[in-house]
This record gives sequence, C-alpha cells and structure tokens, in this order.
Amino acid sequence: MRKLTLGAAALLATGGVAAADGHADEVNLQLQWVTQAQFAGYYVALENGYYDEEGLAVNIIPGGPDIAPPQVLAGGGADVMLNWMPSALAARESGLPVVNIAQPFVRSGLMLTCWADSGITAPEDLAGATVAHWFFGNEYPFLSWMSQLGIGVEGGDDGVTLLQAGFNVDPLIQRQADCMSTMTYNEYWQVIDAGVTPEELVTFRYEDYGVSTLEDGIWALEENLEDPDFVDRMARFVRASMRGWQWAVENPDEAAMIVLDYDETGAQTEEHQTRMMGEIALLVEGGDGRLDEEAYQRTVDTLLAGGSDPVISAAPEGAFTHAITDAALAE
Amino acid sequence: MMRRVGLGAGLGVLVVVILAALDWRLAAMVGVWLGAWLLNVALSRSGASGARLLVPLIFGLTLLTLWEMAVRLYGISPVILPAPSAIAAAFAANTDILWADFVQTILKGALVGYVIGCGAAVLAALAIDRSVFLQKGMLPVGNFIAALPIVGTAPIFVMWFGFGPASKAAVVVAMVFFPMLVNAVQGLKASDQMQRDLMHTYAASYWQSLLKLRLPTALPFLFNGLKICTTLALIGAIVAEFFGSPTVGMGFRIKIEVGRLAMDVVWAEITVAALAGSGFYGLMALLEKQLTFWHPSQRKA
Repeated sequence: MRKLTLGAAALLATGGVAAADGHADEVNLQLQWVTQAQFAGYYVALENGYYDEEGLAVNIIPGGPDIAPPQVLAGGGADVMLNWMPSALAARESGLPVVNIAQPFVRSGLMLTCWADSGITAPEDLAGATVAHWFFGNEYPFLSWMSQLGIGVEGGDDGVTLLQAGFNVDPLIQRQADCMSTMTYNEYWQVIDAGVTPEELVTFRYEDYGVSTLEDGIWALEENLEDPDFVDRMARFVRASMRGWQWAVENPDEAAMIVLDYDETGAQTEEHQTRMMGEIALLVEGGDGRLDEEAYQRTVDTLLAGGSDPVISAAPEGAFTHAITDAALAE
Repeated sequence: MMRRVGLGAGLGVLVVVILAALDWRLAAMVGVWLGAWLLNVALSRSGASGARLLVPLIFGLTLLTLWEMAVRLYGISPVILPAPSAIAAAFAANTDILWADFVQTILKGALVGYVIGCGAAVLAALAIDRSVFLQKGMLPVGNFIAALPIVGTAPIFVMWFGFGPASKAAVVVAMVFFPMLVNAVQGLKASDQMQRDLMHTYAASYWQSLLKLRLPTALPFLFNGLKICTTLALIGAIVAEFFGSPTVGMGFRIKIEVGRLAMDVVWAEITVAALAGSGFYGLMALLEKQLTFWHPSQRKA
C-alpha cells in the first residue's frame, strides 16, 4: 500500500505519462524463478518509481520449481514473461507463439560444476561421468552441448549418466553425481557455502565453450504485439526495466537490499543476494535491452545441434522483434 | 414415466434452440450431450442384453466428444488443454517411451514398494495383535509415518537410496504402510468371540486359529486396505520422481514435458497412469471376489 501511495506521489511529481483518465496501465510480469537478485532490475524499477513514471502499474509474479512461465502466459495469467531462450523457442515450436521483445541479459550464467578429484579436466572427460542436471526446460543447453561433443546421455562407459535433480546442489555435495548444473550467481555459491573450497571444484562456463544460450529474455505473445496499445505499453515497460537494470548494476548492494525487501518468503539472505547481484551485474553489463542477433543465432544453432532429439527441429521464424526496444530506446 | 422423458427432451430441445441464438458452439455441445443422454435413457429402458456395457461406454464417448468439440470450437490453445485426438496421436507416437516409463515407475517403483509396504504392514499387524505393548506404541508411530508429506520424504529418500527406483519404492512404502496397517489390525479383530471360543474348544493352537479363522475373516478388511493402497502407490511413485530421477519414468516425463509445453505427451502419460491405476485396482477387486465369495458384500442380488 505504501508503495502505491509513493507511486501516486511520484506520478504527481513527474506529471506522469499515465493514461488521460489518470489510471496506470497494468502489466503482469511472470518471473522465471523465485524472488532473488536475478530479477533485481525489475524490483528496482518498481521500488524507484521508474514504472510509475511511465504510467505503468507493474505486478511482479514470482515463479518456482513447478511453474512454467510460458504456460502462465498462455493461460492469460501474465502479459509478459522472463524465460530462457531454449525453453521459449521450444514453447514456440509446441504451438505457443511467444516473441522475444527485449534481452536484458547479454551473457549466460550457466555452468557445470564438477569435483576436481573426479579426474574431469575438459568437457571431453565427461564421457562415463554422472551429471545431475535440472530439467523443466533447463536441460536443453546441456543436451545440445553433449551432442556437439558426440557424447551420449544414455549412460554407459562412453556416455553421460544423466540424473534429473531437484533445484538444489545436494546430489553434488552427496557425491551422487560427479558434476552438476549450477548458475554462476546462485548454486555455485551454495556449493561453496556448503564448505567446499573453489580448489576442489572444476567449472565449465557454457559461455567459454561457445554453447551458451540466451537467458532471462522478456517474451510476450505474438497476437498481443499486433495491438499498438500493447506495444506502447511494452516499450514503456522495457524502458523502465532497463533503467532499473542500469541502476542495479551501478548500485549492486542497494539493489540486493531492495530485492530482499520484496522477498515475501524470507528465504533469502543478505550475503547471498549481495553476491548474486554482483554476479548478475556481470551478465547484464553492456546490454541496453536490444537483442543481439549474433547471440540469438548462436543460441538457435546450439539448439538445432541437439543430436537425435533436438530441442527445436527448425530455425524459428519471427521469434524476436526489435520494435519494442527501438521504441523504448528512441526517447 | 415415458411422458417425463418426453417432457425433458422437449425442454432440452427448447434450450438448444434458445442457446443457438446466443452461441451456436455451446448449442452444438448441449445438443450432442442431449442426444447421447436420450439414447442412453432409451437403451437402459429397452433392457437390451448389451445395454449394461453400452450405456457407460456411450457416456464416456460423449465426454470425449464434448472435450474434442470444446477444444476445436473455442480454439483452446494446445498448451492449456490438448484435444483427445491429439492425446491419442501422442500416445500412438510414443508407445516405446510410455512403456519404458511404465516399467520404471509402476513395475520397479510402485509395485515393489506396494508389496514391501503392504507385506510389512500385515506382519506388523500380526505383531500388534499379539502384544499390547506394540499396540500402544506402534500404531501412533505408523500414524506419524502416514502424516509425513511426500514433498518432505521424497527428496530425503532420493538422498538415501539414490535416484533410481529404490527411492520411489521407499516413498511408496511410507505411503501405503499405515492405511494397510489400520485395516489389517481391524481385520484381525473381526472374528467373533464366540467363533474364537469355538476354535479354543477344538484345542486349536494360535496359528491354527489364525490361519483357519482369523485371517479369512480379516480378508475383507485386508482387501479394503489393498485397494486403497493401489492408488496411493501409483501417486507416490509418480510424484516422488519430481524430486529426482534418472531420465526415464512417468513422473520425470510429466515434469519435463510440462517444461516443454508438450501437453499432449503429458496427457498421454496421465492416460497410462489412469489405465494402470484402474487395472491395478480391478485386479485387487477381482481377487477379492474370488477369495471372499462367502462374505455378504459379495452376494449377487
């Protein structure tokens, strides 16, 4: 409620660009995961009134382990979602026409973390190893990478034994797996916090092996983009969100505190969020929200190289648009 | 009576006509339902020999038809709800995957856990039956195990027993143990004092009396527990896979295909679960019919 009055005050102060009748345009944003610094830009834009200044009433909806943002979008529970490009493109191929309207993250934070004593020193050594990975759309980059290396994922001596793990690092800590998928900004630090030293680990950044795929893009339904009002609303949303991201990158510690304020679960800690914000800043730095077509192409190529079971069977058409970011950056 | 049906049909047609003016799609669906309903009424009245089988079949087919119509007429996104025809196509295209998942989850996970859990529960019931000490101490513990939420036990069991079917079987054991135990304990108390006294006068030993009198009288209770546990075992094994699994299994498939928005495959998997569940339950019901033919509940009218 306090936020609302603040927002109203900000509107009055800035003269606001809200609709003529004084009500703000509603935008429901479905996050890909729970409230954390990974989404700091949006929380900052909300807290600092950037959305209000654009005449928007933004409602940020946290996700979770069993929430598929594309499904929420399809069901009308959100106007716009954050999603990894592999899962969004797979959804597009499954008959849900989603379009990337902006790409705040320019780099991927996905990496594989392995025990150094497992003898794995290069990706080729993964043959014969046990890898715990998240699924639910997060497995695509790994599957594509393995198929490019020619390593099977059906187990055996020359293939990877793949385990579908929950969203925690227990399988690695318990040594049920030699390697585990981690994000540079989250799970890697959970391993470190569990008392493991960085020297005991070997990490492989997808970014370093040319198999990274774009993460945390902003996606909307294609049919909505035919509506000029919606496009205008999205342009304002993206502009305010990018302002939020810029502020978060420049003030990582304050941004982390803002995220903590919005975390209703109380599960996040200051130390973890501050550290996460520092890592996230590395992923968004240098981007202005506009999708880099080279990175897009690399993502598509990686996905198409998915071997026997490719993530997408054909290069997508019209899966992104610059219209929104062009409008957002024009002013 | 005939007049009432005629009146109902007349009213129904009137409703369809009114709806047709408002929304022809809804009218079409109501029309189909009404037609099938009238057909079923006519069939059940005719007393034809095949009616007992035909009536429920028509009912089920009507539901599927209405579902298909709703999806097509209203253009429902396949991501929200796929049409039965799409589910059938996905089922046909993925039979090998569905079979592998079935073997992994139902045969290696649910069934193993079911046998161990129910078996242990019957043995525990016998122990409880023999000792007052256990009766006072064990039942609350069994109840406590039953109250553990699956979302809490599953990840722990995955850590203890690994990602394979063993951890799923363990979850199933924890789920089926108590319902089976309660039923078995109750069943062992089912024989009358008079009957037990009679066995005593025959100089029957504890075991003789157990095998000849008390276990047979407990059978209806035991089967009650076994039937309840069939569905519990299936749910337990499928849900447990959400928390960790190799890359095969019904729960695993449902989870990743939801992530891929391949809802037709998810529904195909749900179909397998429904068929397996009905089959499993039916098997138990059939066994019960064979073994407890003497019980009043099994009498034919």
